[in-house]
Amino acid sequence: MGTKTKTKRYAMVIDSKKCIDCKACVVACKAENKVPEGVFRNWISVERSGDYPKLRMTFEPEQCHHCDEPSCVRVCPTGASWQREDGIVLVDYDACIGCKYCIIACPYEARYHNPETHTVDKCTFCVHRVDKGDLPACVETCPSKVRVFGDLNDPKSPLHQLLATRRHEVKNPQTGNGPQLYYLL
Amino acid sequence: MELLHNFRLFISGSWHLITRGNRLYYAWVGFLLVLMALGGLAYANQLRHGLIVTHMRDQVSWGFYIGNFTFLVGVAAAAIMLVIPAYIYDWEPIKEITLLGELLAISALVMCLGFVMVDIGRPDRFWHIMPLVGSLNWPVSMLAWDVIVLNLYLILNWVVVTYLLYCAYTEKHYVKKLVTPLVLLSIPMAVSIHTVTAYLYNGLAARPFWNSAILAPRFLASAFCSGPAILLVVLQVLRRMTKLRITDEAIHKVAELMAYTMGFNLFLTAAEAFKEFYSQTEHVVYIQYLFFGLKGHNTLVPYAWASQIFGLAAFLLFLIPKTRKDWRTLNLGCVLIYASVYIEKGMGLIIPGLTPDALGEIYEYTPSLTEIAVAAGIFAMGFLVFTLMLKAAVPMMLGDFTIRKAPGEPHPEPPEQAAPIIP
Repeated sequence: MGTKTKTKRYAMVIDSKKCIDCKACVVACKAENKVPEGVFRNWISVERSGDYPKLRMTFEPEQCHHCDEPSCVRVCPTGASWQREDGIVLVDYDACIGCKYCIIACPYEARYHNPETHTVDKCTFCVHRVDKGDLPACVETCPSKVRVFGDLNDPKSPLHQLLATRRHEVKNPQTGNGPQLYYLL
Repeated sequence: MELLHNFRLFISGSWHLITRGNRLYYAWVGFLLVLMALGGLAYANQLRHGLIVTHMRDQVSWGFYIGNFTFLVGVAAAAIMLVIPAYIYDWEPIKEITLLGELLAISALVMCLGFVMVDIGRPDRFWHIMPLVGSLNWPVSMLAWDVIVLNLYLILNWVVVTYLLYCAYTEKHYVKKLVTPLVLLSIPMAVSIHTVTAYLYNGLAARPFWNSAILAPRFLASAFCSGPAILLVVLQVLRRMTKLRITDEAIHKVAELMAYTMGFNLFLTAAEAFKEFYSQTEHVVYIQYLFFGLKGHNTLVPYAWASQIFGLAAFLLFLIPKTRKDWRTLNLGCVLIYASVYIEKGMGLIIPGLTPDALGEIYEYTPSLTEIAVAAGIFAMGFLVFTLMLKAAVPMMLGDFTIRKAPGEPHPEPPEQAAPIIP
């Protein structure tokens, strides 16, 4: 990327081959964001295939993809779902009426209806931490360093380095959402 | 001042009409009130505990409520579209049919707004999506569009109905220059409310089941059958219980038109099914879940087939002149169409769109008892609104109840011929 841009664009690289399904990220997120019982902002999807002795099991951490063209923001009737300059997609809990249209519009099932506030809720990339210069809770806690969080527009960031040198993919690109969770191959 | 005085008389006169009736009327209104009370209790329970008392979950976050909403938008739209054949075929009680269509549209819209209201998690913030006072994300959000067109359509119909009835009550001629454009405007608006409702689903790339370009045409085709199906029954009841004159020909003509629209609706469904099943892309799973079940989950299967069989049967009943003109088969056809479209544009549309979910998981949704009770309450509310409005409107439009005389009294002079709204 030759052009220098001042604005940040937060994204996450996920090296799912390193994931051991310990769910520390899920627990850290729950504790950090006081996520109510029964709902989750992130989870590990497990794919099993084959039969013994030829079998395979893969783990892939999932959460909000903080898309470039988020369909949840587009469909929201009140503007409660919104996107920051740096790409982070958030819900304004005071504006949300709980119509759940965004839950349906999300191609990643990343949103949930919060049973305590009766509004929609989701991963915030831990903005309250990121704005202080800290890492999201799930990133900080991961014991096998699956998750790399950073600014796409900063050529010196480890995230930038990884995306430049490693093959990667995004999930469901066909929806046109422009997801910003990059899975290393 | 005189206008204000007369309007007060109009309101008190309407009140007089709706509070007096025969035993059947009281029983019917009482029954509806009981249903509404049950619905109210269920809704109070939902307000206290939240949407968790419904069976909607994050995988299927719209269910029975929004299914009913979608169906009823169609009813609201189609009620007005009956005005078109009424003019094309030059039926005599054209003013009455227009008014009835508008009353049905108002009742259907009341139910629509009720269903949206009970579906949202924070009904206390309902005003956030009200035009002007709220913060509508317009024009980007299709839901914002839907809120605007539904409210406009409700206001439009309400204004026209109130004005026409007020004129009938005060025995004055309505101003044609005022009413005609409004009635003409209500026709494209009727099309637009159902189109926008289709777009609500159509534009979601995450839900391939709804990503069909013929979704809006299918909405309109099915609404053109279900709306008139209700009105045909209402017209028969009214002409038996009141002096309203509606010819057999008019009713048979509506039935014939319904045969064509049902035929078209079946054709569009077949076109959709062909594309899905012949191409067998990975998106076939949704329609497969609807018609054949998926991985042992087949709650919707009997309903899906019932909907198609009912639709086909009604199509044949209304197509063959003999069965179309037989009152028994005609009314059976109306019930079949109503049931067919209720399934197809209700749960048959919403649930397969969300099952399996975007991650491929299957959460099999069936409405909870709370949802059914709340929905029954809203339907009762809509029927009550319709009943009360009809009770007041019919004597007024027949010239039986005006500012100068109470119902039952002899006419001081022969009533004026009902003039057409559109010349």
